[in-house]
Amino acid sequence: MKTIYKLTATLVAMGEILCFCGAVPIGAAQSSTNNLPFPLIERFENFGAKDGLPTHKVHCVLRASDGKLWVGTYGGALFRDNGKFHLISTNDGLSHRMVMCMVEDKRTGDMWLGTMRGLNRYSAGRITTYTQTDSGLPNNVVYGLDIMDDTLWVATAAGLGALNLKTGSWSIYDQNNTVMHEPWVYSVTGAKDRVFVGVWGGGILEYEPASGIFKEHRDPDRDFHFDLAPDDGPVSDITSWVAWEDGVLWQATYFGMSRYDGSRWRTWQETKSPLPSNFVNFIWPHGRVAWVGTDCGLSTTDGNIWVNYRTDEHGDGIMEIARPGQPMETRKMTTALPNNFVLGIWVDDREAWLATSDGLAHAFLSPTQSATKVAVDQ
Amino acid sequence: MKPRLITLFLVVAALGAVAMWLRQDYWVDHMSRMSGQKDLSHVTCFNCHMVSTAKLRWAQPRPHHDAPAGLAVSPDGKIIYIALDDRDQIAAADAVSQKVLRRVKVAGRPFGLALDAAGQKLFVTCRDADRLAILDTQTLKETASIGVGMAPVAVAYCRTSAGERLIVANSMADNISVLSVSPLREIGRPSAGREPFDVTVNPDGTRAFVVNRMAWLASVKTVPAAEVTEIDPVTARTIGRDPLASAHLSESIGIVPSRSWVLNPLVKVRNLVPITQVANGWVMSSGFAVTDTRTCKVIQLPLDEANNYYADPSGMAVAPDGKRAFIASGGSDVVSVVDLDKVSAWLAAASVSTKEEAINDMSLSPEYVIARIPTQRNPRQLLISPDGGTLYVAERLQDSILLVDTKTLTTKGRIMLGDGGLNDPIRRGERVFTTAAYTFQHQFSCRSCHPDGHVDGLSYDFDTSGIGDNLLDNRSLLGVAGTEPFKWNGKNPSLEVQCGPRFAKVLMRTDPIPPKELRDLTTFIKSQPPQRVARRHDGKLTPAQERGKAIFFATKTSAGVEIPHGKRCSSCHRPPLYTVRLSFDVGTGGPFDTPHLLGVANTAPYLHDGRALSLEEIWTLYSTNDTHGVTSYMNKEQLNDLVEFLKTL
Repeated sequence: MKTIYKLTATLVAMGEILCFCGAVPIGAAQSSTNNLPFPLIERFENFGAKDGLPTHKVHCVLRASDGKLWVGTYGGALFRDNGKFHLISTNDGLSHRMVMCMVEDKRTGDMWLGTMRGLNRYSAGRITTYTQTDSGLPNNVVYGLDIMDDTLWVATAAGLGALNLKTGSWSIYDQNNTVMHEPWVYSVTGAKDRVFVGVWGGGILEYEPASGIFKEHRDPDRDFHFDLAPDDGPVSDITSWVAWEDGVLWQATYFGMSRYDGSRWRTWQETKSPLPSNFVNFIWPHGRVAWVGTDCGLSTTDGNIWVNYRTDEHGDGIMEIARPGQPMETRKMTTALPNNFVLGIWVDDREAWLATSDGLAHAFLSPTQSATKVAVDQ
Repeated sequence: MKPRLITLFLVVAALGAVAMWLRQDYWVDHMSRMSGQKDLSHVTCFNCHMVSTAKLRWAQPRPHHDAPAGLAVSPDGKIIYIALDDRDQIAAADAVSQKVLRRVKVAGRPFGLALDAAGQKLFVTCRDADRLAILDTQTLKETASIGVGMAPVAVAYCRTSAGERLIVANSMADNISVLSVSPLREIGRPSAGREPFDVTVNPDGTRAFVVNRMAWLASVKTVPAAEVTEIDPVTARTIGRDPLASAHLSESIGIVPSRSWVLNPLVKVRNLVPITQVANGWVMSSGFAVTDTRTCKVIQLPLDEANNYYADPSGMAVAPDGKRAFIASGGSDVVSVVDLDKVSAWLAAASVSTKEEAINDMSLSPEYVIARIPTQRNPRQLLISPDGGTLYVAERLQDSILLVDTKTLTTKGRIMLGDGGLNDPIRRGERVFTTAAYTFQHQFSCRSCHPDGHVDGLSYDFDTSGIGDNLLDNRSLLGVAGTEPFKWNGKNPSLEVQCGPRFAKVLMRTDPIPPKELRDLTTFIKSQPPQRVARRHDGKLTPAQERGKAIFFATKTSAGVEIPHGKRCSSCHRPPLYTVRLSFDVGTGGPFDTPHLLGVANTAPYLHDGRALSLEEIWTLYSTNDTHGVTSYMNKEQLNDLVEFLKTL
């Protein structure tokens, strides 16, 4: 098996050499024949301490609308400008070094950073902090953020906070004033006229600000570990992340993942699908394709076809393609994820950035098919 | 006898009988229990009872004056537009004849003005109505209006690659409204610094600069800094924030395109230096900042001279050729003329360290200040005609516009808007309030620490010995009538004492303000209503505010446990003034005077030394363990609700 891998790697390397010579590259040839509804990752470029990251653990990543890459790590936030990382730390006024989530207010360019101790607004170099003692922030542990119109939604360890960006007023939604059973809110995502809230142990809350109505989505079988009746609702109530795009809500849990299109649910667990692990940290939807961060690597899926990326025990990059009714296709990559524990993802048509437990990865996508085009076509 | 008198007599008789029956012990016990004071020598029935705001000076009708605020000039230089905020009017005056041609009503306290490129639309910020109005300059009729942030005070117009834009400084919302003109809509509302007060835009419409009057909220022992906020007028995104170290109270900003400079006047404040050092000129001085827009480096230069200060620098105008800048000193009735070529030459020759220390060099200003033009009372906004030939100076407390020939620097005349209002004691008092004539070397006026009667957001060191030993939070003068005694220790019985001998001894370092002027001054202060607060337009409280109100007036905790009288919010902060005017120890090293809460939302920081940067911090960090009312039963939502209610007072 090792010999086959080495042979494949040699062929890929030769293809890349040929590419520079103007010949048809092997990677491109593979991509063009994949016939997949979303692009493949061709290679990874990894960043760590040598590149200026303050710690190996990276929690979140996103590319802002001005093109700057923002990275949240255990040792502060960074932005990448002209190829160099610039650190924003507690010395600069950040409320805590551990940056767990980020969201950009695209209208103003302000970056909101959630940490283990408070919320921060980075605006043109100035940091304003919000903590549970100096503001209406429900709790200092900020797991998730999203902005919808004039409201910043903040998922905290003690409820959901809503900051009106025009008036500065805070509202708190928790077990005291909603149907929320647990106060640990891990994630929040705006969805046009409503907000979906991922509650640890409480499933998903759907909130319509206009009517003030909360609706609860709970795992019907109430079993944490097993999805006794697939596709009947959220796969589990232990929600670790929610994300919404293009009319579809995705739920990450530590016992599988789910998709909800407004009327139907679909669920996946590792034993019944190509999902590499039930331990799902994060989902980034791009069009109708989900980019899934797990403890066993990265997955991309439209719900039917799966492509999983992981680093094997030798440090080699492995790509697995699972098509319905076909055996799993395994390919060896020339580069690998820095770590299989994927905590954060940002994707557009051209590239992906991955936050892992051991560094940051830049994933270059095959140019043959864009995710958006696929979504439109479908 | 009339029935009412009989009833009154019977009531008084009954009360007297009850009082005699209850005897002195009861009343001592009642007053002691209800006031929370062991020493009752300062306690009367009127601390709690018979208090009404209706009879206070600020609740009474007052005369209105033709005080000029914002100015604008037509592209041909013939018509001057003047905002008369106290009258709710806009005036149009002929620049040649120096006569007012027309006045029109514009509701909501019109304050800031700007014209479009063709001079056909006049944009007016309405400070009390939170809106921007558009007037047709031909008819002076309002043709459109749009809501903006709270208390808009300035507007700038520009043309950009994406169309016409308006940049509005929302002073009480700490943000900026970026509007498109066609269609009239808000594109974005980026955050500013604290109290954005003026706006300018570079000629190609790619950058707007907003100057902020107050320093950022920060720990009381840090050097304060305001900022110049840079905005992209096309996208409404924030693109820069240039700090003004140890400076604040910038009220205007001007651009010098030929030099890539932005200029703004400022007050160099050293609030951590003991106030006793006023005599050394160490506490407050006036200057201006030069920001290089290419490098974002800021150099602060003094406007004052060693023994003669030019207090309260307010308006600024830059000549179209970029050769001169004019700065109005509202406290000194002077417009200083700054030769920008000389500033440039000095900056080119000075070392980095010399430039950093320049603001402290009281011998420097003669290098570039080439003239001081005397004005009448309280010059504020400045404007230069399109040809650069005439400088217009809004003499706010004279109700006039001074015209100055910018070549000869001589007076060309005056547009008279009103009579100066000298028959009105409030107006006379405002003149005292805004003049630096009574302070040592004319260093500052009352307004220097209380802009518009409010706060500057700083704490000052009032100790006579060590630095930073006795920081005291600046308190608003708005709505202060009827809340005596004054000072944080509650020792001054009246405004007359506070503003008279005490002010002279501690602050002015000169003779006290003369008695007649002192009377006018206190009349003015008493006439200042509380700060406007943000409420829903229908005046009703939101559900969160209603819940907060219930907490404020609660007599029991959520668990039904009785809250002792002296530990209820409303016991010490009793309506209608939200103070019983007594001192209490709230766990901060007191006892300290109980401040009134009218307009409290906009008076951060809080507590006697300004240690609490937000209302929440009062209870979460500093007055914990039920030392500032019984509050430990509250969960986070209840505290948020309480704060939301406090913001409505």
